Amino acid sequence: MVVLLIVVPLGLAFAIPLFGFISKRVTGFVPVIGMLFNLVYSLLLLPFVLQKPEMVSIGGFPPPFSINLVAGPLGVGLSALIALVGLAVSIYALGYIREGAQEKYHVLYLLLLTGATGAVLTGDIFNLFVFYEILCISSYALVAYLGDRSGIEAAVKYLIQGSVGSGLILIGIAILYGLFGTLNMAQIAQNINSVSSLSVFVPLVLLVTGFGVEAAVFPLNAWLPDAHSSAPSSISAILSGIAIKVGIYAVARVIFTIFGASNTFHFLLLLGLITLLVGEMSAFKQSNIKRMLAYSSVGQVGLIVYAFGIGTSAGIAGGLFQIVSHALAKSVLFLAVGYMIYRTGSMAISSMNGIGKRMPFVSFACVIAAFSLVGLPPFAGFPSKFLIVRAALAQGDVLFTVLIGIVLVGTVIEGAYFFRVVQALYFRDSDKDARLEKAPASAAVPILALLILIVAFGIYPDFLMPLLNSAASELLDKAGYIKGVLG
Amino acid sequence: MNLLYDSTYYIASIGLIAIGLYIMLVKKNLIKVIIGLCIFETGINLLLIVMGYISHGTAPVFSQTGLSAGKMVDPTPQALVLTSIVIGVAVLALALSLAVRLHEHYGTLNLRKIRDLKW
Repeated sequence: MVVLLIVVPLGLAFAIPLFGFISKRVTGFVPVIGMLFNLVYSLLLLPFVLQKPEMVSIGGFPPPFSINLVAGPLGVGLSALIALVGLAVSIYALGYIREGAQEKYHVLYLLLLTGATGAVLTGDIFNLFVFYEILCISSYALVAYLGDRSGIEAAVKYLIQGSVGSGLILIGIAILYGLFGTLNMAQIAQNINSVSSLSVFVPLVLLVTGFGVEAAVFPLNAWLPDAHSSAPSSISAILSGIAIKVGIYAVARVIFTIFGASNTFHFLLLLGLITLLVGEMSAFKQSNIKRMLAYSSVGQVGLIVYAFGIGTSAGIAGGLFQIVSHALAKSVLFLAVGYMIYRTGSMAISSMNGIGKRMPFVSFACVIAAFSLVGLPPFAGFPSKFLIVRAALAQGDVLFTVLIGIVLVGTVIEGAYFFRVVQALYFRDSDKDARLEKAPASAAVPILALLILIVAFGIYPDFLMPLLNSAASELLDKAGYIKGVLG
Repeated sequence: MNLLYDSTYYIASIGLIAIGLYIMLVKKNLIKVIIGLCIFETGINLLLIVMGYISHGTAPVFSQTGLSAGKMVDPTPQALVLTSIVIGVAVLALALSLAVRLHEHYGTLNLRKIRDLKW
């Protein structure tokens, strides 16, 4: 019953206004329940889908004639990640979201996560578009949730660029439907070689560009720093942790499964590299902490795209590990920084001077997450970067060796700006009195849980490896995917 | 000439898409940009309809004897367009409400003047 992963949060989302009649306080707990259910259920499903991917066809018709869900290791693994980050952020939001239309916030928040979960599980390209739109529209609205000057401006930018992207996706889907007369991803993949490569090239470009807007690959990422820095911190965490990853997943699904376009891998490599360098260099010169984190997300996306561009099983597994480690570390950073901003009222890095003494736990969390993003052992960022570097070197090509060298330069820049934050936190004295402030439980619990996972995956990466390896082979094994769906 | 005649609908819908994109790229007023978005989406919806259109086709229902499947329009794109229109309405409503709020904050809808956030 994979459908439950989508139906339960969707149903709960629309039930929230009903809970609101009972008490406004209750509404915040509904997303917690929904995400807890999704997390537990995805983890229970994982052992089964590792054996054999589970197929669900809606309405009882066999796959090419109905909308189908494909719960492979990749889909269920990502839905577990979405539920995990979603759960942590929804607990954080219990204390963080106290003003404005709380009910509507929670409705939109659950819808965003429903869209993300649906997008990674579906096996129908139009269905992917619909879930992607649910994700996008709710995130446009959530960016503007605070209703302040910068939030509205960022939301308008995000909305215009996002809708053009969605429009391009729809044109791509229309052309694919015109060519193949089907919307089922497996069936399109099966027939993709039966038409001339030029007529397949147009929908490929349209789909990659369209999904690339949400994935924030280089020329399409103008909305990201504005939207991520102007949104409420809980939403920044979910946008950086989850929403971008869904875009990357969709790009990967389109390139690897539907089109099987192995000749685009070098393009992906280059795109990833440029995105990485642009993101890291822009992050370096920011003085606003949330903007810096947003640009750092752009850089990390570049690294993930680069890893996918290596095109081997090891490279993709490294990219997926990077998705996990970035989702965990960046949400911790946004949640911790969000708490500091909430207390100090300023987003400037200079205003964080000496906070290490005032808010020891939150600062500590910030430092661990920053170390993990830079890729220091023993945190989750280390094995992910190590896997990517090893996969690139295993190619034995001069091109890959040179490019991975440039990637490591990007990592050094990343280290430089994160250590600037660490320096401000611990080694600069603040002009205010250093009164000790204890973080409330709603902030401390999710941050602590994610920190434990960062350290656990860093010390014992083998725990994740079977899942990531089979997810990577699911992406690469096109024939297996087609056979699994169409029988 | 015949080729041109056959592809009239395609040319028209892609033309609408291009006009919409042009408006969004060039116009400074947010409302006009949103109108451009609307035209863009309409063009895409028409493109989808054209994909399944047969001239003088009927609805895909075997209501009378003598109807053959070859003369029926493909219903799937129409179902897609229905979904796409609903999505378009949601995006449009959100865009217009954001435009109202933007005007409250800045007192203008000129996108060249609204630039608090920069790279």
